[in-house]
Amino acid sequence: MSEPLLESRGITKSFGGVRALRGADFAVHPGEVAALVGDNGAGKSTLVKILSGTLAPDGGEIWFEGRQVTIPTPVAARELGIETVYQDLALAPELDPAANLFLGRELVRPGLLGRLGFLDKAAMRRRTNRAFADLGIGLQDTGAMVANLSGGQRQSVAVSRAATWVSKVVFMDEPTAALGVVQSGHVRDLIRRVRDSGIAVVLISHNMPEVMELADRIEVLRLGARVARYRAADTTMEQVIAAMTGALEPGEVA
Amino acid sequence: MSETREVPAEAQDEGAEAPARAGLRGALRRRLTETTTWTALILLGIVAGFAALRFQQFATVFNFRNIAADASGLLIIAVGMTFVIITAGIDLSVGSVLVFSGVIAAKVMLAVGGESWGAIGAGLVAGLVAGTAWGVVNGVLITKARVPPLIVTLGTLGMALGSALLITGGIDVRGVPLRLTTTIGIGQLAGVPYVVLIAAVVTAVGAVTLSMTRFGRYTYAIGSNAEAARRAGINVDRHLIKVYGLSGFLAGMAGMVSLARFATTTIGGHSTDNLAAIAAVVLGGTSLFGGIGTVLGTVVGVFIPAVLQNGFVILGVQPFWQQVAVGAVLIVAVYIDQLKRRAQERGERR
Amino acid sequence: MRTRWLVGLAALALTLAACGGGDDEGGGTSGGGGAAKQYKLTLIQGVKGDQFYITMECGAQEAAKAAGATLDVTAPDEFDASLQTPIVNAVVAKKPDAILIAPTDTKAMIPSLTQAKAAGIKLVFVDTTTENGAELAESEIASDNEEGGREAARTLAKLTGGKGSVLVINVKPGISTTDARAKGFEEEIKKTPGLKYIGQEYSNDKPDVAAAKATAALAAHPDLVGIFGTNLFSAEGAATGLRSAGSAEKVKIVGFDAGPKQVEDLQSGIVQALIAQKPADIGKAGVEQAIAALNGEPVQKKIGTGFVVVTKDNMNDPDVKPFLYKSTC
Repeated sequence: MSEPLLESRGITKSFGGVRALRGADFAVHPGEVAALVGDNGAGKSTLVKILSGTLAPDGGEIWFEGRQVTIPTPVAARELGIETVYQDLALAPELDPAANLFLGRELVRPGLLGRLGFLDKAAMRRRTNRAFADLGIGLQDTGAMVANLSGGQRQSVAVSRAATWVSKVVFMDEPTAALGVVQSGHVRDLIRRVRDSGIAVVLISHNMPEVMELADRIEVLRLGARVARYRAADTTMEQVIAAMTGALEPGEVA
Repeated sequence: MSETREVPAEAQDEGAEAPARAGLRGALRRRLTETTTWTALILLGIVAGFAALRFQQFATVFNFRNIAADASGLLIIAVGMTFVIITAGIDLSVGSVLVFSGVIAAKVMLAVGGESWGAIGAGLVAGLVAGTAWGVVNGVLITKARVPPLIVTLGTLGMALGSALLITGGIDVRGVPLRLTTTIGIGQLAGVPYVVLIAAVVTAVGAVTLSMTRFGRYTYAIGSNAEAARRAGINVDRHLIKVYGLSGFLAGMAGMVSLARFATTTIGGHSTDNLAAIAAVVLGGTSLFGGIGTVLGTVVGVFIPAVLQNGFVILGVQPFWQQVAVGAVLIVAVYIDQLKRRAQERGERR
Repeated sequence: MRTRWLVGLAALALTLAACGGGDDEGGGTSGGGGAAKQYKLTLIQGVKGDQFYITMECGAQEAAKAAGATLDVTAPDEFDASLQTPIVNAVVAKKPDAILIAPTDTKAMIPSLTQAKAAGIKLVFVDTTTENGAELAESEIASDNEEGGREAARTLAKLTGGKGSVLVINVKPGISTTDARAKGFEEEIKKTPGLKYIGQEYSNDKPDVAAAKATAALAAHPDLVGIFGTNLFSAEGAATGLRSAGSAEKVKIVGFDAGPKQVEDLQSGIVQALIAQKPADIGKAGVEQAIAALNGEPVQKKIGTGFVVVTKDNMNDPDVKPFLYKSTC
């Protein structure tokens, strides 16, 4: 097994009196899809937010490319090459898809205009159209506000954004939740392509068939800590679910 | 930063073409149905109506020039308010900051003394700094102390006006250099009053900044979804401080314009400037919930009440009807905007 | 499509309603003799809703009707030059033959009124005036406000028995009329050595500010026995403030102007005397001078109208009652 690209060791996090994470471990390697599964309240989204820089952990360590790091802000995560598709999508509804894709990373015009902050909207739109074509997203009106798109289209925009910018690790929190059959298929193809290009993909999903189909490895979180890790090829859905709900004794399977 | 995934060239072009064509059609349709178009039509309707009723009196260069000059101060404030409201915030302190800046400027000019441009310039700088300072106070309290904008700016409304009253003893400061009034206040350049030119420049810079720069994009993004902006790496707090600072700066500039026109600080005349500016911005199609709006719309929104008041006085309508009419137009305009939005949602949802 | 019609209809309806609501196009149509030209006059008051100006309007309307002229009336929301200026500009666009105006500031109104004169409109200043009023206006008509102030001082000296502190609640500096009243009062009150004059406070023409200043002064000077309120809102506000402080008996108030509320206060004993101006006379004289100027006849450059001292005892007398101010014409 190669070195983990991104690893969390013993992360703890509490919100008031609620202990969301009690020493959570997690690891993902380059060129693999690692699924992070767990029942509601297991702490998956919290762990994702910590590893993507949105939340600060109370305790524990984060290791990236063999060094210990801190990820205090989303920008810090981005600079490490980590991108995230959040469960709430984190899109600006009144902006169009191109604006959302380039949010915080806007392209500016060359020269003096650029230094004054003038946007190169045409270039951003072109790149966005290409990215959408990639994903097979067919938007009739790419100038429309994201708020006027369907739920599935919005999710596609969020996924496309992360896929466009990622260089090392991408977290996908319920990426196909609002998608129809065809578009889910596209997103799954995208996930495989991203994995094949050497990126580490962390998939958080309730959709167990999808997890079994896509994931190379599965790590199970329960009550804020890891209780099992499986190779997808060596396990069954029932076994994973059992680990999630605590029906089975916790066991480490490499 | 990584590049987009590599896709065969033909697929790239094909994929990019179809959306681009559809995008142009959609953009045109969008422009036609925007609220600004509707309110601009309302404004044209009102102008046409008054012109039809009293052509020789209403539709003259003289009259339009005066309408523009009288509206210049409000327009300057409203440009700043546009930025603030697009971030889903609000600034109630603008009228008080205007007065305070005028007071500071007048006092500085009197202290320096004389009629020189140096004295006027010193007063101008002092007034703008004073206005910006109040704006930054607003921004800091809103972002760091996490007090809602409505409350913060309500507080600075009182503090700024109260400070102005303290400094002046409640009495307008008079005796501003005469040169300020005769050149900028009532002077013209090629037939256009200087105050109108100032307002026009402010409007143009504001419009370009809002629609074409990163600063404007961040303003829309924060109003649309501040959390998404934060996660995208935008320093939301710093940007908001800049936006409220801008609003204060422009209120200071409006204070200078008022000082130039009236030669006194007109402390009592600006108590409803904040609501007039907010109404103008909303009339122009900006949403109070943030994320949507334009400076051009605000221009239309400023001129609707201005033209209404002017036309009513020309027609000899009782003054109280003017307030009723302006309120009615505001409600009608926002109602039409709601109808249009609902229709758009129904139409574009798939 | 339907919404576009709505918009056009709304705009049209609004402007039609506006012209229909012009019930201030007062005056007769074919009142006077056939030879006299029908002049169009506009009266710009100092502020809306002030009975002094309303009474002036009544007097002006009567005079306009008698002369066969039409008189429009308009006013700003607050007594402030920044609000009166756009109104002057719009009235000038209307091109009346003459404007009767009560300028809200001696300096700040000069630019817009200069523009009016340059447009060929005759100006008559009623009540207040500007620094260069003699040049700008055909005629300046006001009460002799300094004399009014002196009369107030004399009345207050009598009412208070000549001992204690007295306060003036003024409006704001830069208004020719109230400045003159305060000046007249200050001069005359010196003649009563037992009365200590503690100075002027400004109400900015707001009754609530006047009330606050009155009660504050009472707290600071327990021997306060008299207040002179230099205009309607200042006197009314002071009376309200003292009433709610429960000190209405202790302090005598002399007010300027006799609005209905003040007459009520007079009746209930909260205010002891009112120096009533004759705003109807001012309005009437204003119209007469304007028409004289338009006809090319000689005008009187300055007219000083008189006062009536109103007290509870004499307010129903036939030579006093007509001078109480009206709320409607």
